[in-house]
Amino acid sequence: MSNSWRFVSTIAKKEIIEFVRDWRTLLALIVIPLLIFPALFIALPLLLQSEAAELDALELDVAWQGDINDELNQMFNNSSLIITFEEIPDDINNLSHIGSDIDRIRNQEVNAIFRLVQDGDEWKFSILYLSTSEASNEARARMINSLTIWENEVINGTLVEAGLDPESTLDPVTWDGDWEESDAATRGEQAGMVLSMFIPMVIAIWTASSAIQPSIDMTAGERERGTLEALLCLPCTRMQLLAGKWLAVATITSVGVALQIGGLLFAIKFLASASIIGVPTVSLASMLLLTMAVVIFAVMVVAFELALAMRSHSVKEAGSILGPAILFIIFPALFTQVINLDGIESWWFGIPLVNILLAMRELLLDRVIAEHVIVWLVSSLIYAGLAAWFAARQFKREDLVASIS
Amino acid sequence: MNKPLLTLSGVAKSFGTVDALTHVDLEINSGQVIGLVGGNGAGKTTLLRLMAGVMEPTRGQILFQDSPVSTMRKKLGVVPESTGLYSRLTAWENIRYHSRMYGIPDDESWKRVLQFAYRLDILDALSRHTKGFSRGMRQKTALLRALAHDPDILLLDEPTAGLDVTSARTVRSLVGQLRDDGGTIIYSTHHLAEAQQVCDRIIIVHNGTIRADGSPTELLEQTGASNLEEAYVSLTSDKARARVEDDEKEGKLSKWWRLFLTGKTPKMKEALEDE
Repeated sequence: MSNSWRFVSTIAKKEIIEFVRDWRTLLALIVIPLLIFPALFIALPLLLQSEAAELDALELDVAWQGDINDELNQMFNNSSLIITFEEIPDDINNLSHIGSDIDRIRNQEVNAIFRLVQDGDEWKFSILYLSTSEASNEARARMINSLTIWENEVINGTLVEAGLDPESTLDPVTWDGDWEESDAATRGEQAGMVLSMFIPMVIAIWTASSAIQPSIDMTAGERERGTLEALLCLPCTRMQLLAGKWLAVATITSVGVALQIGGLLFAIKFLASASIIGVPTVSLASMLLLTMAVVIFAVMVVAFELALAMRSHSVKEAGSILGPAILFIIFPALFTQVINLDGIESWWFGIPLVNILLAMRELLLDRVIAEHVIVWLVSSLIYAGLAAWFAARQFKREDLVASIS
Repeated sequence: MNKPLLTLSGVAKSFGTVDALTHVDLEINSGQVIGLVGGNGAGKTTLLRLMAGVMEPTRGQILFQDSPVSTMRKKLGVVPESTGLYSRLTAWENIRYHSRMYGIPDDESWKRVLQFAYRLDILDALSRHTKGFSRGMRQKTALLRALAHDPDILLLDEPTAGLDVTSARTVRSLVGQLRDDGGTIIYSTHHLAEAQQVCDRIIIVHNGTIRADGSPTELLEQTGASNLEEAYVSLTSDKARARVEDDEKEGKLSKWWRLFLTGKTPKMKEALEDE
């Protein structure tokens, strides 16, 4: 084993051991990334589903004011609405004017008020409700649904009476066959398209944010705790020290990102089994290039964060610099999601951060375009090299030692 | 005569416009305990850091035998003032980490650690996390860590600062034993009594210069004083400067913000403007 590798691996190993001995770290960097996507894609829909079912089962109170229609009343009753009939108040200008009923609605004495007036062959109605109450919204939605069905029946009856076919009259232009069959993209490609809209963003943001804590702990934290001076007395160079710390942060971050992707794949598999989304089809070449893109991105981000943290004199200072710095990742990540990849010019793949994010999007769509690959690969390597050079400069600063007291 | 272990020739160190050390010439021979004595800001820690190879001198050179000291750090054992222990590692893990960096196999450093741990009465604590260690325990662990790779020179920065009487005595006793075994120790301290008790040679550093260098008896003869304290006072009668390494200028933005926030206090504002 060469001396350099011995130094680098010993430093990295110690940093990782020390870091994972803090249970809060394990929670933040291991458990949360592993659970975030299953929680988002599986637990959240299940929760929403159970909430919706609970709301469906509710019997809701509705006051019906004005003229009565038996057919509509029957539909309301079938929708678990408990109706009480009343007169329309005198103090209103039109049916939507709440008037003296406002307190009843705001206090939810009734969930909603339905007003109906017949004017010859026409019917006029309004629904008074409280938009901040879920029960009131639900009552309104059930009534609207019943009204739509009733209105269609009224229209169809009128058309039949006039000797017209309701279907050809109301819907003269129709799609023939199953519209899903007309898409040339496979389900796997469609899934790739959907995932390419947020996986690059998630990887970028998670890589950058999960590297912050270890970067600070291993640099500004060392300065603050007074362990850096003893470390600088060891017979390794500052570059070996940087490499060891970089390897530790990159390993911790990679584990976090890998677990997050693992959780995501599990969630996708679950959704695929429910036929909600297909399993993305990505070629081996795309997978390899995708991995390379993530690694280069990690090299650059981790080196940059280590450098900024090393410049800081305390953990607090490092946190106040690196916290806002995450915005430099979030904005390009959001920006990249709206860039059209069809016929995109190659220079886009040379812009820092944007290049890697675009590359990840293209590769998830299984598009390997040689010109784009060369541009993002070369430019990313240059940016990663610059970040490493900047980090090296920070690690070689003399005031690193001078300011330890 | 044997070649000196460490040679400092015309060494100077500046931080920006401030000269922390000006023209230091020293030779450190083996088998001695050398005390660096001086007040706060005298330049002791800067001198130790230069000897440890973690800083480069602005002028002059420091050689370990015939090689630049920065390339010979594996020959040195350093105990900085802060001890530098990792609280989430055990005492032994802290020591092993440094030993591995020096390329020492674990079993070899363990044997050596056991030998000194017994003397320092810290054997039972080796498997404990250092988080709850007292200052004395931390100092002893840092000493073990510095000794585990069998260094040619041991650099100790204020090794008894903040220690209780018993712990300080144990540390001093170990330093004496190491010297008796042929070791070389450079020992920075504020305390003249301690220096007199432990050191064969005392170097008095004041305002970045070496004011005196010799055995306790030689210093007394040189100054005509009856004790070392009087000798020290007569050698360092000029006013001590501020600790230069901590002297950081306030930035423009910071000063503007401070004035903005304190501007409503007239006396304070005047004082700041005078400044």
